[in-house]
Amino acid sequence: MKKPDVKVVLLGDMNVGKTSLLHRYTERKFKDTISTVGGAFYLKQWGPYNISIWDTAGREQFHGLGSMYCRGAAAVILIYDVTNWQSLAELEERFLSLTDTANHDCIYAVVGNKADLTDPKAQQFQDPDETSEDRAECEEGRTEPQLHKQVPPEDAVSFYERILRYKGLDEKSSLPAGKMCFETSAKTGYNVDTLFEALFDLVLPSILRKRNENQVSPTVDLEECRGANNKRARSSCC
Amino acid sequence: MSVKAFELVPAVERDLLMGDKARINIECIECCGKHLYMGTNDCFIHHFLLDEITTSKGKLSYSAQKLLHKYLGLKKPVAELRAASALERLIVLCDGIVFLVDMVTLETVPSVAGGGAKIRGVNAFTINENPVNGDPFCVEMGVLSSKRRTVQIYMVYEDRVQLVKEVTTPEQPCAVSLDGYFLCLALATQYIILNYNTGASQDLFPYNSEERRPIVKRIGREEFLLAAPGGLGMFANAQGVSQRAPVSWSESVIGAAVCFPYVVALDESFITVHSMLDQQLKQTLSFRDGHILQDFEGKVILASTKAVYVLTPLPLERQIQDLLDSHRVEEALVLTEGAQRNIPKDKFQILHRRILQQAGFIQFGQLQFLEAKEHFRKGQLDVRELISLYPLLLPASSSFTRCHPPLHEFADLNHLAQGDLEKVLRCKKFLISYLGEVRSIEVANGCREDIDTALLKLYAEQDHDSLLDLLASDNACLLADSVPCLEKYHKYFALGLLYHHNDQDSAALQVCLWIRVVDGDLQDSTRSDLYEYIVDFLCFCSNLDLVWKYADWALRKDPTVGVHIFTKRPANRDQSELNPDDVITYLGKHSQALLLYLEHLVLERKTQKEKFHTHLAVLYLERVVSLLSESPADEEELSRARERLQAMLRESDLYRVHFLLGGISLCERATLHGKLGEHDKALHVLVHELRDFPSAEAFCTWASYGQDSSYRQRLFHLLLGVYLDGNELAVGGDGGDLKMAAVDLLNRHGEVFDAVRVLRLLPEGWSLQLLRPFLGRAIRASMHACRTSQIALGLSRSENLQLLHDRRKKPIIVSEKKGCHLCHNTFSEPDVLCLPGAVPVHTHCVAQRVKDSPTKRQLTNSSNHT
Repeated sequence: MKKPDVKVVLLGDMNVGKTSLLHRYTERKFKDTISTVGGAFYLKQWGPYNISIWDTAGREQFHGLGSMYCRGAAAVILIYDVTNWQSLAELEERFLSLTDTANHDCIYAVVGNKADLTDPKAQQFQDPDETSEDRAECEEGRTEPQLHKQVPPEDAVSFYERILRYKGLDEKSSLPAGKMCFETSAKTGYNVDTLFEALFDLVLPSILRKRNENQVSPTVDLEECRGANNKRARSSCC
Repeated sequence: MSVKAFELVPAVERDLLMGDKARINIECIECCGKHLYMGTNDCFIHHFLLDEITTSKGKLSYSAQKLLHKYLGLKKPVAELRAASALERLIVLCDGIVFLVDMVTLETVPSVAGGGAKIRGVNAFTINENPVNGDPFCVEMGVLSSKRRTVQIYMVYEDRVQLVKEVTTPEQPCAVSLDGYFLCLALATQYIILNYNTGASQDLFPYNSEERRPIVKRIGREEFLLAAPGGLGMFANAQGVSQRAPVSWSESVIGAAVCFPYVVALDESFITVHSMLDQQLKQTLSFRDGHILQDFEGKVILASTKAVYVLTPLPLERQIQDLLDSHRVEEALVLTEGAQRNIPKDKFQILHRRILQQAGFIQFGQLQFLEAKEHFRKGQLDVRELISLYPLLLPASSSFTRCHPPLHEFADLNHLAQGDLEKVLRCKKFLISYLGEVRSIEVANGCREDIDTALLKLYAEQDHDSLLDLLASDNACLLADSVPCLEKYHKYFALGLLYHHNDQDSAALQVCLWIRVVDGDLQDSTRSDLYEYIVDFLCFCSNLDLVWKYADWALRKDPTVGVHIFTKRPANRDQSELNPDDVITYLGKHSQALLLYLEHLVLERKTQKEKFHTHLAVLYLERVVSLLSESPADEEELSRARERLQAMLRESDLYRVHFLLGGISLCERATLHGKLGEHDKALHVLVHELRDFPSAEAFCTWASYGQDSSYRQRLFHLLLGVYLDGNELAVGGDGGDLKMAAVDLLNRHGEVFDAVRVLRLLPEGWSLQLLRPFLGRAIRASMHACRTSQIALGLSRSENLQLLHDRRKKPIIVSEKKGCHLCHNTFSEPDVLCLPGAVPVHTHCVAQRVKDSPTKRQLTNSSNHT
């Protein structure tokens, strides 16, 4: 099994579409999912790096496992349902505390899924990588909108700001809310790649640092030492 | 689902254990090599020898032989048994007391003075299978006290136990596993990882141990398997991180173990088998009254209260094969790849390749060509396996036999497609594309002939465009197989290419074949321009015999195109040149082609050989003569032929004039006379015999081309003379023509003539009106000359005056240090010329300058009158 370089965790209440979102990203299609049991995980090859993406179970029953999944995470994606205000509230009440175990420099993204239900732009979006059969299948179930959007983007932004405050992070030195709040649709693929790819780019420094840490070995490298000596000898000369 | 990964094999039957004593239950088991120990609820330890027997059918079974049983004397059930084989001791937990028992005699080891071989108040214990302490003759044991919230670490020796560490826990622990320094503990409300060396603890996740019995199972280095809420099997490592996704058990799971790559779990009525690779449930075995599930050195043993079973894994190959048989390709591959670390590298590679190939064939059968191709490629499939599916594609001479056991279930393509022609076609298309890709890469080594021949057959059958590409490029198609196939599909053109590629000697056969196609004896519509192609081919053919042999056919077919064989032949190549003489002899029968060839030699290649020039001229001449003899003559054709002849006669200087003069017609004779310098004869012919005045004029122009103006004037005067003489001699209307011709000549080319001489020549009686244009021009020319010379005179005078003036003013000093103004060299001689303004220059510089000056040049052809 390939060792993952970095961990990304999806958190959110049940039925907000965590599994579907991951599915859309990894398999380029939208299909019926069953309620996730416990958790699942997917290894994504991102250039030379392996990124493990953990899809957690939203059900209350598995809530206790959350902080373990988050342990050592480099990024946490907090997902709510734009048509369900409670799902955003749950993030703050139940899920935010689970991220205590994540890395200190963990990145947080707030994602409102199911945007296709409220936003025509998201509904019209077509995933260019989706096979036509899959699309046709998906389009069958495509109904004319429009559910009431319960969560305006501003609420997500202010939630993001509260996350920073909760983490004791300085708003100015952290990533701006505008960059870290997304609205996506797992059904049409709207903004899905954008979300994951933006996040992967942001965790890259974290990967590099982790690799460097591993490289600092307790073994003394004689070659390296000799090099250092030479340098000193040269500088002290004359 | 339904992989058959395990089989449940009975090991110790109920009778053997307790006979008819119904109330005796198994409480715990331990297995160490062939030795199986059992603790019962009546405080006995039973010792069996367990032998593995493979039956003739390859089935595994166990025979158990009872060696000993021993009453421990505590009247309580034996709660746990652990073997410490290096010490030959069993560590026993019974009635809250841990003590040691000899493995062979089952006698309790007595306490030695000062130490103790007993620990009291124990709730549970665990053995560290990965101790930090390296002493092989002691065993590290973690002990949970039944009352205190502590974990104690003991060292167990042959005859004593020694407490080395005690750590407190936040809650009462109830289950424990140990690896290195890491204790994995189930507390009352949660699981934690506790480092007994540093005391650092790490919460894992909450769990209510009172509600459900916790499971803490070490499954590898620093990794544990835990029962989680919701019937999950969670993985956690010593850092408190989960590196694998959880598996989903039932809520009532009793025991679990890992037998890579599976997680086996026992609940009240089933054994479930999940894959650690994809977390899916793979197998369910019914098992009633299950009580214990434990793994011992990789062997999973289960016990109900009355009997013991071994869960034996089926060989991996068998499992994979089962998966493939049920067309579960992905799972089979995941299982194979997951098992990589458990199989030696070389063996794994062979297995992996075979599985990939089989997977490919399954997908091929389902027409999932993209996936199939990928698997064939990864599995480095011998392409012939695939080719052999298609009847009659492999060459008869191929030594290939299908691999055994077979990689797939198909007899051939027809079997696979079940008569569905559409399917057959798609399969063929796939093979075409696959072979096309594969033939250039390494897999093709050693079977290129088979591949190329198969590809050729497919191309021919499918009427595929790439057939010609294949044959035109380097290929290994076998003649014996390819020829009948190409003939069958009327691919004669391709067949020719094949011959050509295979052997130069066969080229004859090839051309012969193509000729038959062109002649319509054979049908092949591949190339509509096959004839041109043959000509082209012969043109580039280095085999001269072949050229001689078939050029005749080509020339007969179409001389103008056929002659390209000779005319378009690339020159200056290493290959043997054709001798033009031979060609001309050869072309003897094909006059048209001969003509074209000679034209090519003379006009294009500019061959400077009298023979060719004469020959060509003669041919032109013959042509004209034959056209003239026809009646009615085709005027247009005739004039064209004449033009060519005349052009030839005029342009070339090499042909033998006298040779032609005999048979030549008048007009051409004039040209020939002109060639010989006999202009008077020529003009005589033109004027008197042909009466072709425009030609006579043109002759003058042609003959004087490149000569100086006096020569030109002489010719024109000659012509005028001929006209006028004729006019005098002629009688009646005949003379009128010549007179008009003379007038026209004068009026048209007036500038050439010397007007004074002309006036002297002209008969007295001619009217002025008639000659008006000529005279007008002549007078103007004379005036122009007069004025120009006056200007020149004036200029010279002024120049002279200036010079005089200059000389009078001051002397002009010439020294060796002074330079010439024109060439800037110094003067070396006393002779100098002075330009106006007293500028001394070399005499030769002035001469040069005068020669180059534009005025001078203009003076030489003063046709522009003022």
